[in-house]
Amino acid sequence: MARKLGRTLSDDLGRWTLITLALIFVLLPIVWLAIASVKTRNAALAIPPEFIFTPDFSAYARIMSGGFLGAFQNSLIIALSNVVLTLVLGVPAAFALTRMHGKVQENLSFWLLSIRMAPLFAVILPLYVLFKSIGLLDTPIAVSLAHLTLTLPLAIWMLVTYFRSIPVDLDHAARLDGANAMQILWLVIIPIARPMLASVAIIVFIFSWNEFLLAFILTSRNAQTVPVAVASLAGTMSFDWPLIAAVSVASMLPALIFVGFAQRHIVSGLGSGAVK
Amino acid sequence: MVKDWRFWFVIPTVLALGTVVAFPTGFLLWMSTAHWVVTEPGVYFNGAQNFQTLFASSAFLSATGVTLAYLTLSTAIMVVLAFAFALALAGPHSSGLLRALMITPLVIPPVVVGFTWRFLLNGEIGFIGAYLLPAIGIEANLLAEPLGALFSIVIADVWSRTPFMFLIFLAALQSIPRDYYEAIRLDGAKRFHEFFLITLPMMKGAISVAILFRVIDALNTFELIYVMTKGGPGRSTQTYSLLGWKTAFQGFDFGAAAALGVVMIVVTTIVALAVFRRFMRGV
Amino acid sequence: MKMTKNGLAAFATAVGLLYSTASPALATTEINVIGFGAGFAWADLFGPSGTEKTQKLLDFESANDVSVNMEFADEDVARQKVLLDLINGTGNYDLVMLGSDGAVQTFSAAGYLEPLDGYLDSAKDIFDASKVYKPFLEANTVNGQLWGLPYYSFGSGVVYRKDIFDKYGITEFPKTTAELEVVLQTIKDGLAADGITDVYPLTMRGAPGEEPSLDLSGFVYAYAGYPAWFEGGPVTPEEIKATKAQPIFNGDFKPGFETFVRWSQDFGPPGIATHTWVDMMNLYAQGKAVVLMPSAINAFAGIPGSEIAAVKEHSKFAPSPTGPSGKAIQSFWTFSVGVSAYSKNKPEAYKTLAFLTSEPVLRGFADAFGWPYTTYPEIMHSPTLTDRWSAEMLGQIEASFSEADPHYFPYIPELVEFMDQIGTGASSAIAGTVTVDEALDELQDWSTDRMTRAGYYK
Repeated sequence: MARKLGRTLSDDLGRWTLITLALIFVLLPIVWLAIASVKTRNAALAIPPEFIFTPDFSAYARIMSGGFLGAFQNSLIIALSNVVLTLVLGVPAAFALTRMHGKVQENLSFWLLSIRMAPLFAVILPLYVLFKSIGLLDTPIAVSLAHLTLTLPLAIWMLVTYFRSIPVDLDHAARLDGANAMQILWLVIIPIARPMLASVAIIVFIFSWNEFLLAFILTSRNAQTVPVAVASLAGTMSFDWPLIAAVSVASMLPALIFVGFAQRHIVSGLGSGAVK
Repeated sequence: MVKDWRFWFVIPTVLALGTVVAFPTGFLLWMSTAHWVVTEPGVYFNGAQNFQTLFASSAFLSATGVTLAYLTLSTAIMVVLAFAFALALAGPHSSGLLRALMITPLVIPPVVVGFTWRFLLNGEIGFIGAYLLPAIGIEANLLAEPLGALFSIVIADVWSRTPFMFLIFLAALQSIPRDYYEAIRLDGAKRFHEFFLITLPMMKGAISVAILFRVIDALNTFELIYVMTKGGPGRSTQTYSLLGWKTAFQGFDFGAAAALGVVMIVVTTIVALAVFRRFMRGV
Repeated sequence: MKMTKNGLAAFATAVGLLYSTASPALATTEINVIGFGAGFAWADLFGPSGTEKTQKLLDFESANDVSVNMEFADEDVARQKVLLDLINGTGNYDLVMLGSDGAVQTFSAAGYLEPLDGYLDSAKDIFDASKVYKPFLEANTVNGQLWGLPYYSFGSGVVYRKDIFDKYGITEFPKTTAELEVVLQTIKDGLAADGITDVYPLTMRGAPGEEPSLDLSGFVYAYAGYPAWFEGGPVTPEEIKATKAQPIFNGDFKPGFETFVRWSQDFGPPGIATHTWVDMMNLYAQGKAVVLMPSAINAFAGIPGSEIAAVKEHSKFAPSPTGPSGKAIQSFWTFSVGVSAYSKNKPEAYKTLAFLTSEPVLRGFADAFGWPYTTYPEIMHSPTLTDRWSAEMLGQIEASFSEADPHYFPYIPELVEFMDQIGTGASSAIAGTVTVDEALDELQDWSTDRMTRAGYYK
């Protein structure tokens, strides 16, 4: 008993040291950003840094007065539509994949998983040509569609492994009751999978929200997203750190809120997807 | 086939991805065989000329080294850290708050990550580079030195992308049935036995998926490096991604940039196939 | 089940609502501008955030029935959008911001820009070319055609800390590069003897990419006495083709390049191989550099925001020193704007361009920032600047325009690429990953191949 307790204690010590170090590493930049966002321009550059200062919220006021609200709106539209598109396309596809066998399934799975092999810098021009030809340049929907290349394979991967864990017997039972595939998916599978769908939705939202290059290329003034707006700030004369920091802090808020609420869902959702 | 419901369930996805991926990729293949320099008149077929020029250029050679170094270094650190964090936080008594805190970097756009770390590491005005490091006796301007800059982008990237891998590992760890461990413990197994006999084998799938996503992701990393170092000093952090971007948009040579893109597709496909065939059949 | 349906419905409504409020109101002729330097460029028109519209702009818009849409981005990145617009002939942008160190030459050659000579008379009441310093127009002239009108522009010069010079017994800023090198060494030794480790004798820029090339080419020009890129110093494609002039990067180009690298290493701050003009400016503003050159403008940009009293009180301007050839180190640039060849409203676009570079707008810039640089002699000699700066200094700065050779590097379509390769080579050499000779040999090989492929030596 004593030996076991000793082992647990030393384990715990190692574990908590690791967790503490990890937290410092993870949180330091974020805390620093938050602090810089409420400093004055010169104070943000001062070395040694001032730890005690009067907070100055003018950077946030500048966000409100500038065009950033539009960028937030665009980012929100793009990420939300992308979530909808990804789920509408990905859920049936993933379900069908889990009910397939053999070479077709294997090749299809590989193709879907590896869809992002082409480097983005190389597909920028074709994508631009594509969206120009269908008149969608500088619209949120173009960015949403382009983001499918990132989010759809990820969502399908998460969903496939999850759906596989749902016994096929359930399908059979429903089929005996006269349900077609659509009804099975809608009435049997989706209700079971709700927590998983929530976690997929959040992950997809985050990936779409964060993406820069495609959003940058496909938009100009009407559909500019938050990361693009942040990047454009860098070209300014004064390199206004408090402003960049404030926009950055604001840019993490929406996703942070989601993650805060749904952390458990994300983990459990991914969990069923990760191990077969 | 057409009567099969599965066909109709999959086809929208195939069409959607086909449009946004297959078309650009085809376009890219064509571009890689074209002489297409924006400042010169005419676009015409020139066979393998772009590839020859690419393979002969010193920029390609150095980018290969940088990409390899960045890829292996960052992935290795990421896997180890993500695994350690996941093990530390996988227990049933770990608080949700701790996990939520650990994954916060996930929600920060890489472009913001780049700015943040560039500022933190700056040797003249950065909190870490000009304050913490000198305080412990390190007077190095990381971003200004070839190796230091490479290390800096690795740190920032690790900071930004470890949480996603951590999530995958955490989830995988939690879905390993408890009784496996209990069974082996009854046989008197030590901690490291548990790790090597159960944890690691059970995690194989998760690790390979995580690495596959990571490799694709790392090859595409652009804005983080661009914002932090623009590929410098010199070319010491100029990866394929940055070189390709530069070739197209600074050098105006779309054919050469496309050739690099094709090379990258080939490399990733080989890596992905290997991972897929080895670990992920049936995923 | 019900929950899911309601949830989905609410979700769809939310997305729909967001969409409906996202579409912008339509206006009269829309003129789309892409530029860089938000909050700095045209702050008097678009506000400090670059996203507003001031009364001055609204007045112009209503008088001319146009609506000016400004889109700001990072300089390199903005170029990417312009290029996509160009290749596809999209015509997204009516006005494009250009630099005279590559974009003007490259985009005019690629057929993206509308030649402006024919438009000059159409809006003379707004922009009168005869009232602008000539060299700034020359800098935007390629093959005898004008491709852009100058906004913010500058010539070369030095800003230095008189107090520190005095402290080490240097009474006057040196006139030549040889003397300057001695002075920099004196300062370095002096600072070291006083135990000052965070002040550097010199700040310049050495980031990879085109960043250092403008100033570095100025060194090359001062050392060689001509634009020593190709044999004989030709500056146009025709001249190069006529004599089949080969690159001379490991020839006459070397002395200037070598000096730039050596000074950066010996006298500059440790991070200089990554420094852009922003770092150069901040460093000077923080009192951590004694001399800033040859783009003196970057010091003037930093001084107003400085919290160091000595920087504000003891900064002095001096003309750029001359190299062994007798020519001064150059750093000449205009931030200009051109009309896209694909613009659907060229006359309105030109009118807007004329307004953006007009005397009242440049005066607004001078009022807002107070820097001793402007494109109009009239503003240079007006109280806006004469109240702030000594007549002697303004005269010296004016001379840095009139005595400049805007074509101190070749005006070839490949310029953007060359600037990028040269700057990256310099950055590598400063960082020490390669030697100066290695960097230049590589540059020589690359450029020989590049020029051959571009068909210069057929």
